[in-house]
Amino acid sequence: MNALAEKFSAQGVGSIFLYTHEAHPGENYPHLTSLEQKFRHARALRDVLGVTRPILLDALDGACHRAYGSMPNMSWIFNQSGTLIYKSDWSDARSIENALMYFLDATERRRGGEILAPFHVERLDLRNHDRAAFYRGLERNGPKAVREYRKAFG
Amino acid sequence: MADADLLARYNYDEFVPEKFERWLNFPASPPLGEPAPDFPLWHLDGSETRLSEIWSQHAFTVVEFGSFT
Repeated sequence: MNALAEKFSAQGVGSIFLYTHEAHPGENYPHLTSLEQKFRHARALRDVLGVTRPILLDALDGACHRAYGSMPNMSWIFNQSGTLIYKSDWSDARSIENALMYFLDATERRRGGEILAPFHVERLDLRNHDRAAFYRGLERNGPKAVREYRKAFG
Repeated sequence: MADADLLARYNYDEFVPEKFERWLNFPASPPLGEPAPDFPLWHLDGSETRLSEIWSQHAFTVVEFGSFT
């Protein structure tokens, strides 16, 4: 996702990471109880996991996250006037890149004089499902996170 | 100020279905083509902004929601 942000930044595309709540709290990164702790965890996202996009925090009660469906790692695309134009219940760089290329192309078509009207489309995209890598991520959170995920999903 | 019960339920302390499944509400999320709901957000330096300030800066803005865990 960082590489995608860099790739499209020169084409008028902004990218942010919006910090929500701990989906898999563990001993190293427990559930959030204060805004100060949320800032610490968000800085770790930058410093430990290497997120290079601007990181912004939601309120401690997740007001924004909850309003958008509160999925643990979803992505949305907004246009400049604040209209929602893409939503995905999981963050997948290939899916987002595909959408951005479509929207940028539509912008060029409009500049070329085409009259375009919006329509709705649904699509079932495919994401990488690397179970071993996911478990390595859980291990960073602490043994509790691994134990609870294994109990929930095996 | 959010009530303490909401804060505790949203920031659940265990990844167990009875605590996390209630938050998986993507089917009820805002529809595409409609104005986006706006909320206050905070930069890492503590300064306050709004989601609308973020989306108004670029032709398109990608927002990934998530956390360390």
